Amino acid sequence: MNVSRRSFLLTSGLLGLAGTGALSACGSGGSGGSGDGKELAFWIWAGAISEKVVDDVAASVASSVKITKSIIGGDFKQRLTTTLSSGQSVPDITGIKGEDMPSFLTQAGAFLDLNELGAKDIASSFAAAKYAAATTADGKQIGLPIDLGPTATYYREDAWAKAGLPTDPTAAGQLVATWDGWFQAAKTVKAATGATSVRNTTDVFAAALAQQPETFVTKAGAWAGDGTAVKKAWDLAVQSHTDGVSAGIYDSTGYNQALAASSIVGHVGPAWFGLDIASGAPDTSGKWRVTGTPGGPANIGGSFLALTTACRNPQAAFDYIKTLLTPENAAKSFTDASVFPATTAAYALPALTAGQDFYGGQATIEVFGPAAQALPTVYDDPNNAAIAAPYYTELSNVEGGKDPAAAWTDAVAAAKQVADRAGVK
Amino acid sequence: MYLAIAPFFVLFGVFVLIPVCFSVWLSFQKYSVLGGIGASEFVGLRQFEFLVQDATFRRALFNTLVIWVLGTFPMLAMALVLAALINNVTRLKAFYRLAFFLPNVTSIVAVTLFFGALFSEQFGLVNQLLEAVGLTGVPWLSDPWAMKVVVAVLITWQWCGYNAILYLAGMQAIPGDVYEAAQLDGAGPVRAFFSITVPLLRPVILFTTVISTITTLQTFTEPQVLFGSNTAVNPNSGGPGQGALTMVLYFYQQAFNNNDYGYGAAIALGVFAVVLVFVVINFRLARAGEDS
Repeated sequence: MNVSRRSFLLTSGLLGLAGTGALSACGSGGSGGSGDGKELAFWIWAGAISEKVVDDVAASVASSVKITKSIIGGDFKQRLTTTLSSGQSVPDITGIKGEDMPSFLTQAGAFLDLNELGAKDIASSFAAAKYAAATTADGKQIGLPIDLGPTATYYREDAWAKAGLPTDPTAAGQLVATWDGWFQAAKTVKAATGATSVRNTTDVFAAALAQQPETFVTKAGAWAGDGTAVKKAWDLAVQSHTDGVSAGIYDSTGYNQALAASSIVGHVGPAWFGLDIASGAPDTSGKWRVTGTPGGPANIGGSFLALTTACRNPQAAFDYIKTLLTPENAAKSFTDASVFPATTAAYALPALTAGQDFYGGQATIEVFGPAAQALPTVYDDPNNAAIAAPYYTELSNVEGGKDPAAAWTDAVAAAKQVADRAGVK
Repeated sequence: MYLAIAPFFVLFGVFVLIPVCFSVWLSFQKYSVLGGIGASEFVGLRQFEFLVQDATFRRALFNTLVIWVLGTFPMLAMALVLAALINNVTRLKAFYRLAFFLPNVTSIVAVTLFFGALFSEQFGLVNQLLEAVGLTGVPWLSDPWAMKVVVAVLITWQWCGYNAILYLAGMQAIPGDVYEAAQLDGAGPVRAFFSITVPLLRPVILFTTVISTITTLQTFTEPQVLFGSNTAVNPNSGGPGQGALTMVLYFYQQAFNNNDYGYGAAIALGVFAVVLVFVVINFRLARAGEDS
């Protein structure tokens, strides 16, 4: 009896460990960097780009090269990393999510330098800051940007009217040109309608952080988690709580319900966030407007197309992704999949200049277009994501009642530890 | 003969033994994601040093233990009572068994999403019920304690019926004449439950406690679905204040969101050590009772 229990414990312990176990990988690199292969495998996730554009362009080049598209579900970065490190079935062309780009830039050896294939000549057709986000320190171009997320202020026209604020996007834009102005407006709306203008403090933190050229780690690789850039974004986030304009909602169901009930009537966030609002609270259609971001535009999100070193026909692959991102095709992606183009010439096309029903007929490109072209070039260190986590935790603690000063101290201490682990000095 | 038993050992080797050994090796490395094994750097015990100093891991450990207490003991007590009730009904026994077992085979992700809507703060059914009877709503998905309760409720919902079925099987093995003798001696149903059913079920109770401890200490899916991270906007995991960051969720975040496999492996070994300690404690406690 004793023995069987012990071995049972041992086995279940081992099984438990295996359940949480490790990823086994063997490190052989991809093969070949040149060639004129007739087949190209293309990895992308659902919604990254219009599938119709992907298929149509593939059909137009079918006589010379066969492009096989795979829609990869689940954690895309994880799948791509695993495949790249195993060296088996590596795609020729792949999408890379914006937030994963910093870590893939440190693995630039796994991707082709698109400058050698002609990226330099078309660089100016993309929003400069987004294009630069896929450039390594030594000038290699890893990817071409598909889309981006220029930030804006979303507000409910009816709530602003009730509060006696100007509802016209231009006038509203002047009101919220600075964070102070935006806080004032949000407080006025709160006083008149009782509704808040922020989901939770971390949204303000993310938007304000995106405006900073350097955040937790400087371009030189130095720790700056307690620096002025981060502190400024932190203070703005805390202010949204102390001013009472944050709803402090962290779950998506609750957020959608609050949007539908008009108890949240604003947001500061990227262009793609409009889709979240539209799908979360479709009944509020027509009442939303967008205008400029307090303190100037910034970018959150947006993806890239890249070629791996395993690419069997680099030139054909490059020509293919280049065609996917022409202004006309980028505009089609916007119409089909609401992908906000990184190709700036697309902003002048009818697909984007048309008024949008969800925004009461407002042509939102008049806000997002100029914002996309005025984005600050930022340095996003590969360790930023991990280092940022404690700040988000502590901000939510502030909303749970923790003293902001104590929360800041704790956040910096925890983040410093993560930075130490990552080898940031 | 060896060929006949080979499938188990081959599968065990490939899917258990090698990954376990590999993760032990990983925990001594700063693993290069794309460079692979060759490009990894041996860092000795540094990952474990970080683990010991890591306040986030301590928070995850604390969260997990709270969820373990909230999600295991009330659940097992309820399962025991449920089993006794089912054992005593005369009609529709199979229906009850099926009904209580069903949660265990339901997709946990779907159930979690459903519970997420139930416990939603402003408009969820639970808070509306609380407010209907004059109580104030609870911030179920942002208060660190309430978040743990939600996860524990989910675990209870999923595992209560399963354990009840195990207890029921145990109860049916208790001979009826023992109860008859007790009845003749004047014992009521409550007395019979505590003096006959519970002591005779001890082996089953030990088994369920150990299994539940192992499962609950490795809680992952529920907090991942309710409070998982969205790396595009928030690199955090475990919800507001990381109130529902369990050890395995933290491991997953470090290894698979941050691609820090070396540290992830160190966390996994930490989880293993914690599970081992608690299983041994459980086991000793139950054994001590048995001997007396």
